[in-house]
Amino acid sequence: MVRLSKWLLKEAGTGVNKTLSDILVCPLSKQALRVCEEPPSLISDSIGVSFPIKDGIPCLVPTDGKILDTDDTMKHDNAADDSVNNK
Amino acid sequence: MHSLQFSVPLLPTSRFKRHSVRCASDRQQLFNRIAPVYDNLNDLLSLGQHRIWKRMAVSWSGAKTGDSLLDLCCGSGDLTFLMSEKAGVDGKVIGLDFSKEQLSIASSRQYLLSKACYNNIEWVEGDALDLPFSNGYFDAITMGYGLRNVVDKRRAMQEMFRVLKPGSRVSILDFNKSMQPFTALFQMPLTIKSFSFGKEWMIDNVVVPTATVYGLAKEYQYLKTSIDEFLTGKELEKLALDAGFSYARHYEIGGGLMGNLVAAR
Repeated sequence: MVRLSKWLLKEAGTGVNKTLSDILVCPLSKQALRVCEEPPSLISDSIGVSFPIKDGIPCLVPTDGKILDTDDTMKHDNAADDSVNNK
Repeated sequence: MHSLQFSVPLLPTSRFKRHSVRCASDRQQLFNRIAPVYDNLNDLLSLGQHRIWKRMAVSWSGAKTGDSLLDLCCGSGDLTFLMSEKAGVDGKVIGLDFSKEQLSIASSRQYLLSKACYNNIEWVEGDALDLPFSNGYFDAITMGYGLRNVVDKRRAMQEMFRVLKPGSRVSILDFNKSMQPFTALFQMPLTIKSFSFGKEWMIDNVVVPTATVYGLAKEYQYLKTSIDEFLTGKELEKLALDAGFSYARHYEIGGGLMGNLVAAR
């Protein structure tokens, strides 16, 4: 039952568990990441980039990152799911 | 020639132009496209042998109970699940891949397989060239059929070295690019010899036609190109030593068809 709950929470995209957020660092600066609950994402304050969490899976490919506006370091706009990439 | 029984028609390969899969983005999209049939084709094309090779790769990694482990280019998770069994409930395993589709399948398999120790697995979408882990974190790393597909193998080795604890090992399984294919031929039993000699023939006349049934001919032609461009065992050993590993040894397995690089930090 615990495992099912955990899986459902991940599928709902409500974020990663604490152990994982402790292990992960920014793929570019290798500095610590900060968890953001809504929208679910990991923030690299060192370079001002936010990485999305989709279906409970952190997306930490560098091109998945979205550069945060200087006015926007503490909150995210509605387009947080759009990612800066060269596709 | 050793023949496998397939109930699919053989199509001429000249029908398809060779597609250059050069940049990382192309390769990411390729692995996303083949994700739905990846596991089935692995079983079919290796006659189930890939399961044995993967167990060997995990043994070579030195993974043990309670360890923090990393499976790079984890795909649908075959090696990750084996590492999870080694680590046990007190260990931790990260499965990292740059294909979201492969990770979705891996995550679904984790739930469906319902083994208690598999709760120690976390999936991360990431790049083998820019690993999101701090220095010296992992007790062992595995990489199955991944190194051949990264666009910068030197950098991948450097990142693996960086995130490994001192004294720990990386175990990299992949196709073997032999330096002397014809010499090796005469030393093998007939059945294995014909299988290894026919690696290119196999890809052209068995692998690609099979993949064609799933609409993935171009993607599996990439396999042949990537093996041609891969490094030999000796070159892989040098790559590891250049990256800072203190020990590197390449073992040929599967009758010389496959190779496993073991390197220790």
